[in-house]
Amino acid sequence: MKILSLDSATESATCAILDDKRILGEITFNYKKQHSVVLMPMIDELFNNTGMNIDDIDGFVASKGPGSFTGLRIGMATIKGLSQGTKKPFVTISTLDSLAYNLAYTSGIICPILDALRDNVYTALYTFDNSELIRTSDYMNISIDELINMLKEKNCNIFFVGDGTFKFKERLMSNLTDIGFAPAHLNLAKASSLGELGLKLLSKGIEDDIYGSVPIYLRKPQAEREYEEKMRQDNDE
Amino acid sequence: MELIVTAVEETYKIGELLGALVNSGDIICLIGDLGTGKTHLAKGIAKGLGIEDHITSPTFTIVNEYTGRLKLNHFDVYRVNDPDEIEAIGFDEYIFSDAVSIIEWANFIEELIPQGNLTITIEKLSELSDNHRKISFQYTDSRYNYIKEIKL
Repeated sequence: MKILSLDSATESATCAILDDKRILGEITFNYKKQHSVVLMPMIDELFNNTGMNIDDIDGFVASKGPGSFTGLRIGMATIKGLSQGTKKPFVTISTLDSLAYNLAYTSGIICPILDALRDNVYTALYTFDNSELIRTSDYMNISIDELINMLKEKNCNIFFVGDGTFKFKERLMSNLTDIGFAPAHLNLAKASSLGELGLKLLSKGIEDDIYGSVPIYLRKPQAEREYEEKMRQDNDE
Repeated sequence: MELIVTAVEETYKIGELLGALVNSGDIICLIGDLGTGKTHLAKGIAKGLGIEDHITSPTFTIVNEYTGRLKLNHFDVYRVNDPDEIEAIGFDEYIFSDAVSIIEWANFIEELIPQGNLTITIEKLSELSDNHRKISFQYTDSRYNYIKEIKL
């Protein structure tokens, strides 16, 4: 089974072709969001350089977020279009899952963090058990301070991965002990990582429904935002 | 700071001077009643940024994007009923980017506007003439100190 995988949920624009055994090709640009401009040429380039075309692909994988709203829409629309046009299945995987999977075989907690702006992160907690990636929390949109408080209660090593590390590394280091950070070559969303997780599902016959599948935008609950706004106004007065 | 203008051309000129001074990441809120000249000011800013495209009010599209010396996001949130709507288009990604953002009717989405903004209020001075306007600049972040360089 050959699949085409694509992730544009973060600054990283990345696509890959892989089969059950290996990655046949991958292109990643982790420089300034310009997904709508670069993604299609990247896919074209992958096909040209692997001597394949769209008909050789048996299924597709897209990121379902959380992440950049615009990026998610570009990625999902592209994959849905390719899936519908070729009548081949697609499945969506969270970029948080794929970032955690970048740190396969880590012992302790893996904590991907994506910058959700205004001091918030998109995050979830993971562990590796018998070479299986296990998510142990919900997908969350929480402030970096809330995350730090949550992690203070854990008594094990914690490894961070994702673009949130660029902004919050110092804050995490000064508030938490026994933590580590992904090396640069693993610290970005990779379509190969997303694709491998998606391939496992597609090969079991698990797929998304083209009309039902929507990105996880993961905004803070409105009540919470209103409360924060009230607090902000009270502070101003 | 306040400036008094007597014609729409002067509003445009102030925009143009401002557009030449703005920096990456600046957030400019334009507040004023219908017909006070917010869009004229925005057009001037675009011109000052070296944008040659024809600038139209994004009342129906919510946001228009342009590229000049810097990228420009031009918002008009007049038609937005609920701040939630504008947040759902990925508002934060626009305003916390390296582009300059202009937000007309920013007072409608006050809760989404970060502290580090430049607010420009345009008021009619009807007692003087139909074309007189008072343009006031308010900011707390020193990044906008360049405002002092604007003189008609």
